[in-house]
Amino acid sequence: MKQLSLSLLVFLALLFSGCGGRPALYIYNWGDYVSPEVIRKFEKEYNCRVVLDFFDSNESMYAKLKAGGGGYDLIVPSTYMTDMMYDQKMLRELDRSRLPNLKYIDPDYLKKVRDSEMKYSVPYLVSFTGIGYNKNKVRNFEPSWRMFEREDIRGRCVLLNDPRQVIGAALITLGYDPNTRNEEEIGKAADLVIQWRRNIAKFDVDEAKRSLISGEFWLIQTYSGDMLQALDENENIEFAFPKEGCIFTADTFVIPADAVNVDLAYDFINFMHRPEIAAENMQFVKFRCPNTEALKMLPEKLKNKPSINPTKAQWDAAMPTLDLGADTRLYNAAWDRIKSGSAD
Amino acid sequence: MKEHYLTKRSFFPKFVTWTTIVFFYIPLLVVAVNSFNRSKGGGVWKGFTFQWYAQLFSDTRIWEALRNTLVIASFATVIATVLGTLCAFALHRYRSRLQKTHYMLVYLPLIVPDILRGISMLLLFVLLFAWINPILRRTVGIRINLGITTIIIAHITFCLSYVAMVVLGRLQDFDFSLYEAALDLGANKFQAFSKVVIPAIMPGILAGALLSFTLSLDDYVITFFVAGKGSLTLPIYIYGSMKHGNPAVINALSVILLIVTFITVYIAQKLLEDKK
Repeated sequence: MKQLSLSLLVFLALLFSGCGGRPALYIYNWGDYVSPEVIRKFEKEYNCRVVLDFFDSNESMYAKLKAGGGGYDLIVPSTYMTDMMYDQKMLRELDRSRLPNLKYIDPDYLKKVRDSEMKYSVPYLVSFTGIGYNKNKVRNFEPSWRMFEREDIRGRCVLLNDPRQVIGAALITLGYDPNTRNEEEIGKAADLVIQWRRNIAKFDVDEAKRSLISGEFWLIQTYSGDMLQALDENENIEFAFPKEGCIFTADTFVIPADAVNVDLAYDFINFMHRPEIAAENMQFVKFRCPNTEALKMLPEKLKNKPSINPTKAQWDAAMPTLDLGADTRLYNAAWDRIKSGSAD
Repeated sequence: MKEHYLTKRSFFPKFVTWTTIVFFYIPLLVVAVNSFNRSKGGGVWKGFTFQWYAQLFSDTRIWEALRNTLVIASFATVIATVLGTLCAFALHRYRSRLQKTHYMLVYLPLIVPDILRGISMLLLFVLLFAWINPILRRTVGIRINLGITTIIIAHITFCLSYVAMVVLGRLQDFDFSLYEAALDLGANKFQAFSKVVIPAIMPGILAGALLSFTLSLDDYVITFFVAGKGSLTLPIYIYGSMKHGNPAVINALSVILLIVTFITVYIAQKLLEDKK
């Protein structure tokens, strides 16, 4: 009994105190969003431990940090969350002199985001929301959001279950800004989505991807990186940028205000943008890293994919979603109208 | 002839039983089959493979998560079972005006949404640390943080309620004249409790413990909030992998978890049978 309680005490002591040894870099990231091999290389080169923790949505990560459950050295939120966190003074401003590899960052990307001077964030990966389709099943495919109106694929297409993405696509189709705060424009877009809704099977994210691979669904609104992964499973799957334009999302490296190991965090960001490392990582995650040198180093097979290397026209027509603050409710209200079925 | 009527085989119960079994276990079967599917997404069958298991076994982070999860579940279960049993005994045996409040306090965690408890626990811990860490730094020179211990504490708080409710149900069937008889025959209160009451309510305690273990094992929401940096558990790993992860590896992991769960339940059942 005495032995037991003693070992219990030792155990508790171990739990409370951190382990010693090499310095540790604590990163809060999406699961499976960085190549383990790249992490190993970083650990070796900087003689440190990288500890990865995972979150499943920007919102839950924010809630946890806001309540005080942080202490991470590096976080990887999406741009709209990054901007919001910066406004709330949750992020550290970056010292550019410690990040020489930022010279490789694609200036075309930076033009499109709020933090275009990389004052508080460095882009990590970009993905586009477009159309994934099975080229054997869909006849006369046209790269357009209007595909969701096509009678011949009724019941075989799926839209994402995400208000900003779906209404955003409709806004773009109508020639409006996907970040508009104009109630009338949002209303018109919602009407268009209601029209699409009659034609689609459902609003969904994960299942749709699998059903596209299996051939049950033929055409879905989806993320570019997912389609590159799906290509390994079914060679008939293709990703298209709608000609009207599309939405892109980017995840960024940020250093939170309460970071402990700031030096290692800087080293990590800089390391991840070393061209050969960025290229290696891209081959694992299959999303575009806006690092011009790294993009040139990719193997031909990946380099030719439009979701990794979109054409200038496709890239110019891509727009980010911005944090709209209280006006997000306009989108939620329109979404309720779409979902509540006042379709007819 | 009445007997014949009672034992007559009816189609309906059989139908319900089989549909239930099908709805419960077919999804698990799909997961198990897909864990051997060469196709990553699992939409179509692309051939048999062990590669996901190989990938699973080479990922040290998953094993760390599994270890953390089991450590948390074991500690939370043992402590919650002891506290919950004592709590149920107190609730059942002693009557006072405060008991109603006591009952409500134990019962409430069962109906409060997880997200609320997760956030409030986190706020409490953060507040506590802000107050206690300066003192610790001055006296012992250490600081405490969110970590596995805070997850264990959070899990105890909800597991305790489940154990208390299950054991309370068992206590209500227990004839307390046995306990009083033990006292009359010279046992002290502790002996009467441990030698008479505990054995009688043992199935309830074990059921409560088993319930705690499984609840702790798969809790995501509360764990997500009270986990410290580096204290990864399996549910957090799995949810985190939803967006970009490899579903096939998760399938393989689920199969292993299922096997572990089935073995645990089987052993628990055997134990319960022996008690009878």
